[in-house]
Amino acid sequence: MLNYIIRRVLQIPLVLFVLSLIIVGLMQLLSPQQRAAAFVTSDKQIEHLDQIIEKYHLDEGFLVQYGMWAREVLKGNLGFSRISKEPVTTTIRKRFPASVELALAAFVPIVLVGVFLGTIAAVNRDKLIDQVLRVVAIIGWSLPTFVMAIWLVAWVYGGLGWFGIGRLPNEMLIDLATSNFHQYTGMYTIDGILNGRLDVTWQALIRLVLPATALVIVVSAGIMRVMRSSMLDELGKDYVRTARAKGLTENRVIYKHAWRNALIPVITMAGPMLGRMIGGIVVIELIFNFPGLGEWAAKAATQLDMTTLLAFVMLIGLIMATVNLLVDIAYVIVDPRIRYE
Amino acid sequence: MKKRLITLVALALFGAAFAATPKDTYVYLQSAVIDSLDPVQAYDGASIGILENVYETLYSFKKDSLGEYEPTLATSYEVSADGMTYTFHLRKGVKFHSGNPMTCKDVKYSMQRNLVTMPGDSGAWIFGSVLTGYGDDAMTEAKRALGDNASQADIDKFLDEYWKKIEAAVTCDDMYTVSFHLAKPDVAFFARLLFTGGAVVDSKWAIEHGEWSGTEKDWKDWIGVDLRTGYLHNHASGTGPYKLVKWDGNNVVAEAFDGYWGGEPAIKKVLVQSVEEESTRLEALARGDADRIDVNDWATVNAKVKQMSGVKVWSDPSWSPAAAHVVFFNFNVEGENNPYIGSGKLDGNGIPRDFFSDINVRKAFAYCLDQDAIYNDLFEGHGSWYTMALPPTWPGYDPTIPIRKLDLDKAEEYFKKAWGGQVWEKGFKLTITYNAGNTERQTVAEMIKANVESLNPKFKIDVVPLQWSDYLKAARAKSLPIWPLGWGADYADSDNFIHPFYHSRGSLAKRQNFKDPEIDKLIDYARTLVKPEQQAERYEIYKKIGRMAYDELPNIPYPLQSPFIVTRDNVQGVYYNSMISRDFYWKDISKK
Repeated sequence: MLNYIIRRVLQIPLVLFVLSLIIVGLMQLLSPQQRAAAFVTSDKQIEHLDQIIEKYHLDEGFLVQYGMWAREVLKGNLGFSRISKEPVTTTIRKRFPASVELALAAFVPIVLVGVFLGTIAAVNRDKLIDQVLRVVAIIGWSLPTFVMAIWLVAWVYGGLGWFGIGRLPNEMLIDLATSNFHQYTGMYTIDGILNGRLDVTWQALIRLVLPATALVIVVSAGIMRVMRSSMLDELGKDYVRTARAKGLTENRVIYKHAWRNALIPVITMAGPMLGRMIGGIVVIELIFNFPGLGEWAAKAATQLDMTTLLAFVMLIGLIMATVNLLVDIAYVIVDPRIRYE
Repeated sequence: MKKRLITLVALALFGAAFAATPKDTYVYLQSAVIDSLDPVQAYDGASIGILENVYETLYSFKKDSLGEYEPTLATSYEVSADGMTYTFHLRKGVKFHSGNPMTCKDVKYSMQRNLVTMPGDSGAWIFGSVLTGYGDDAMTEAKRALGDNASQADIDKFLDEYWKKIEAAVTCDDMYTVSFHLAKPDVAFFARLLFTGGAVVDSKWAIEHGEWSGTEKDWKDWIGVDLRTGYLHNHASGTGPYKLVKWDGNNVVAEAFDGYWGGEPAIKKVLVQSVEEESTRLEALARGDADRIDVNDWATVNAKVKQMSGVKVWSDPSWSPAAAHVVFFNFNVEGENNPYIGSGKLDGNGIPRDFFSDINVRKAFAYCLDQDAIYNDLFEGHGSWYTMALPPTWPGYDPTIPIRKLDLDKAEEYFKKAWGGQVWEKGFKLTITYNAGNTERQTVAEMIKANVESLNPKFKIDVVPLQWSDYLKAARAKSLPIWPLGWGADYADSDNFIHPFYHSRGSLAKRQNFKDPEIDKLIDYARTLVKPEQQAERYEIYKKIGRMAYDELPNIPYPLQSPFIVTRDNVQGVYYNSMISRDFYWKDISKK
């Protein structure tokens, strides 16, 4: 097991290396002029395209550009983000915690709701409740996230005045900026506790409700469908019939035996989902005014900010590799038959 | 009872149903993202919108007036007889946010910081081009003057000369008197000084934090640098009524500066937040979580904002943006294998290079642009009409000049006269380009196409979107025959429109190979009228140029969306000044 983990960890740098080559390579498909034009924010600056090309070495070849970036990265300098107007590391320090906070706030309920409803549907196969849940799942699955998000903002926040948007209320943002509130983790829920400001923690939690709800409604449908079919699969297997024949109660058969095995496909699905959610739910971040990694990276992609994109892809690559490793470890815990040599 | 309890608990949990921001707090949600808070680097509305409240220039705009100025860090000024030296007497007892006193040293440092760094993507050229005579940074200018293979000794010599000009450009006569020495006379110099690049920064504080030392010693290290990596990019010590507390990329927090020389403003705390999603901004305004928001267009104002209670839309028919949008004609199209002029001959499959040099062609095209449709459909009846390429509120604008509106009979009449009748007989084919994604320009181009083609089946126009950089490059190469484009003011002087649009060496007119020696002469003469008492004469000249341009028609000015400001209805003191980046200064507003 330990051997396996070490081997997997050693693969990560290779994955990151290939990812960075792809990004730099894709950028080279565009002309230096096109890339330079993406630097420009006002009509007047277009006069200076040639200077921009020269300044950022945009007319150099693939190897030179990659080499310049790699040299700085090895020195620990990830570069300056044109999108956020500050060093990439500074932006990641600010936005990564926001993304993690939001991803976790949504992920836990997504899995709980998905697994719970999926189990209920499977156990009550073809009964009314199963039919209803299946319809609900299809609706949830096909709802675009932004429709759900805009509706929640307009109706729950706009209409009822509940919860609020943004990471904190505006007055609290002003208050924190002018007082000596220390950002230990960048997650307001935790920093509030560490600073003895439970009001901050409370407000931060309140403001996670709407974006998390939007995600739960849309995303848990997928988990539910997987859970249902995997549960049905297990319930049809021999060991379940044996367990029933042995006279075990139905609850014991379902929850002690079948349920654990049925979770494996859910874990397979949920792990990368968490990784992707940390990587950013651009629409949710935009509509709920919750600036995380996704919005930053999406903008970097449209404005061809190579430095930002590279840093983002490296970070997400690292997260995905880690999550996948954790998923593999989780298999062992859930299913003792699985062994890694 | 139980119901009420539930309501109370819900309120406690989720916040009140309506929450207005406190009376001394101003929350503004804008659509744009701030680029830099370094006054030299900042060249976009969102950044300048913060800086104009944190820093101050020698003079500033008197509320909504473009012609009157408020003495700010200076109390008076005089211009030398030859117009080459501007001397300002500084206000005494002004303190920076750091507590340092403001003196001539700071004014000199701030201006020279522009001249030393001159970042290519900043507005520093506004000062460089008149104070040193250079519009680019020293290294770029050296390469331009000496070529790529110049020896280091030659470059060093050039740089020494450049530095001498920087040194000579600003002098301190005493602690409270500063003089600017121009490289050439400039009628707009005073207006240039009101651009935020002319803001006075705290030199002692800046140097302490690692910015340029203010001396020759390290000036070469600062040539052309990207100031976004410097300390002033996200820290500020100005003299303005508000001090910057924090800018975290998304939120700017500022609070009233208690040592401000001009007295205490009503608004004590300010939060400016970048919220790109419009529907989110609208809900925040409706809920009272924001005092002001950006709204994209009149369509949204009419459909959504006007339905909200407690919200005010500020607008006035007399308001116009500090911009002009026109359709340019090229009098002599250039470029080998030019794809925009077809065969290059008047044979029904193209146009000759000087097609638009015939006034009849230009007039015919002008009568094919449906200005009423732009005004009514594109801007929902909230537009500003333009009789010339100068904003209607600017001095020198002549509102009595007629506007050519859609008139297909007249268009036909002029097409029949054009090129001795050959245009009508043989027909033509040409391409109108616009920058991809710009719906206004696309609409203008398609409108002209539809109307021109409706007159004669032999008239063929292609409408082609170009990538922005390609579009401007083609315009600069003088290869476009006809194209719509806009121009925004850099500083509040009408010369900033008249010269680029109408002078044969103007940055826009030269792209159309347009030259009228008489107009050139008038503009050149107007530029010599630098004294305050000569301004009335200067503005009369601009009106005359407007009338000449109506007859000659080098370009077709068309309407722009008229500006509006959306706030909660308890915000008071709002006004609109097209040269204040976010329309008004925070210090002038209050809340009921």
